[in-house]
Amino acid sequence: MNIVVCCKSVPGFVTNLNVSPDGKSFQYQGQLLAINECDEYALEEALVLKKTHGGQITAVSMGGIKSQDVLYYALAKGADKAVRVDCESQDPKVASKVLAAALKQLEFDLVLTGTQARDTLSGQVGIGAASRLGLPFAYAVVAVEVQDDKTISVRKELGGGRHADVELRLPALLCIQTGIQPLTFVPPARRIRARHQPVRSFSLPDLGLQAAELVPQGYRIVSVRPPERAHQVELLQGSAQDIAAALLSRIQESR
Amino acid sequence: MARGILVLVEHAGGKVDSVTLQLLAAGRSLATQLKTQLIALAVGHQLESISAAIQGHGMDRIVIVDHPALALATGEVQAHAIAQVARQIDPRFLLIGYSLVGMELTPAVATQLGMNALTNCVNVEIRDGAVTVTRPVFDSTQHTHVALDENARAVIALQKGSFAPIEPTSTQAAVDSVSLDVAGIPARSKVLAIVEAPSGDVDITKAEIVVSVGRGIGTAEKIPVIAELAEALGGVLACSRPVVDVGWLPRERQVGASGRTVTPKVYVACGISGAIQHLTGMRDSHRIIAINKDPDAPIFGVAHVGVVGDLFEIVPALTKAAKEAKA
Repeated sequence: MNIVVCCKSVPGFVTNLNVSPDGKSFQYQGQLLAINECDEYALEEALVLKKTHGGQITAVSMGGIKSQDVLYYALAKGADKAVRVDCESQDPKVASKVLAAALKQLEFDLVLTGTQARDTLSGQVGIGAASRLGLPFAYAVVAVEVQDDKTISVRKELGGGRHADVELRLPALLCIQTGIQPLTFVPPARRIRARHQPVRSFSLPDLGLQAAELVPQGYRIVSVRPPERAHQVELLQGSAQDIAAALLSRIQESR
Repeated sequence: MARGILVLVEHAGGKVDSVTLQLLAAGRSLATQLKTQLIALAVGHQLESISAAIQGHGMDRIVIVDHPALALATGEVQAHAIAQVARQIDPRFLLIGYSLVGMELTPAVATQLGMNALTNCVNVEIRDGAVTVTRPVFDSTQHTHVALDENARAVIALQKGSFAPIEPTSTQAAVDSVSLDVAGIPARSKVLAIVEAPSGDVDITKAEIVVSVGRGIGTAEKIPVIAELAEALGGVLACSRPVVDVGWLPRERQVGASGRTVTPKVYVACGISGAIQHLTGMRDSHRIIAINKDPDAPIFGVAHVGVVGDLFEIVPALTKAAKEAKA
């Protein structure tokens, strides 16, 4: 079973967050880019599937050269190949179009990715790419079972604790829910070794795409700032004992 | 020329999900301001009860797509069915609930229709003449306002709780049944079974006091500190998603979009930052108390009472006070 895992590199903590002059993206001063946590669970699931069913894992990330670190991390975790698609866009429509074009260049039975990226929180790219490629898909998958070369069955969340068991014909795309497998630790030595592995890179022309046809969505980001609070929170101060007494009286008057 | 605002009715087991009446409220407001029609779209099988339940809730028209193939349909099949009908209606906006169901449908429907998609929205309004949504970004610590271009068509997926449900009126909307071209829908995925939520050993939705723990607790060994508070207050222990993901507490304790929705008299959030998926599961609690060391944590946006400080100083002191009060 050959699996492609799509992983986004995202900033951890950002400062000076702002909107770009064209209103199409966020600008910020970021620390190191790391693998998007949701996508890391997809990678873990791929590693488990590979252990049982064999095949190769290809990690794919879209972004500039800084996002290559995420691919080295995926290689260190056990991915066999890595591909970086050289395109820096935060737009979900552009990202799904580019990713779909990249997937066309790769051989796979299954594409795994996470449910959403922690920066844009859009959750559109995986299923957007599947729809463009005409792949069957499932979102928020909590268990994967391979039935044969042509079919898998998955359990997916419906919300509120309900689930659906779904059968999909391969090739298919799954958005993996967090927590499907425990995250594993990667020894530093393996991370260093992974840096000597090749990373294939696709430019937009390699994928038969021109920058001009990558039209972002028809909207403009107006502002980004901390959320307005629905109501003023009453903040308690003082010693732990004072706060505990105040909290207890609030709790008792509410019950 | 695209016109009309279409609202997708979310339903399961013959019941309309509460997000639907919230979407109709958002849609009614937009439709009135934009001087256009509000149309409710229900897709599924045996929809008589669904149609009756939504009737009179602000829409100008109800469109029903009822077909046995949609009785137990995957997201892929539903998305094709919705796109098929939406193509005929050609709406300017399609409002979908940003539930686990809507998260799967929105990108698929938008891609098929060539519409813009705005997900994870907590508001939609007309601001300075432009249809503008508010959406949490950067782990829900920030909100962004996004203004749609003039005449841009979009699927807008709204978080549950973003709008108060619309009140019914005596105005009855015409109900149209639209047939489905099943041959045009790929059969590459099928639902094998629906698995209802397991009851587990505890039902957190029934408790009057819920003490909930988040990833801020740091390690599994600290869970008993919070569990002791829950017990001292006569409440139940619950948690946010990351705590379940790392295996510190079982799934039936999880509050949020993919877990349970709770509305206790008191909700104590310990070390929970307040990602939007968590807030949708608890923000209707009568009194919310948040303890977190980060003063900017989004949980303080919904909390009534807050403590910015160290969990492991505050919680044991509160447990002690609660035990003394009981004694």
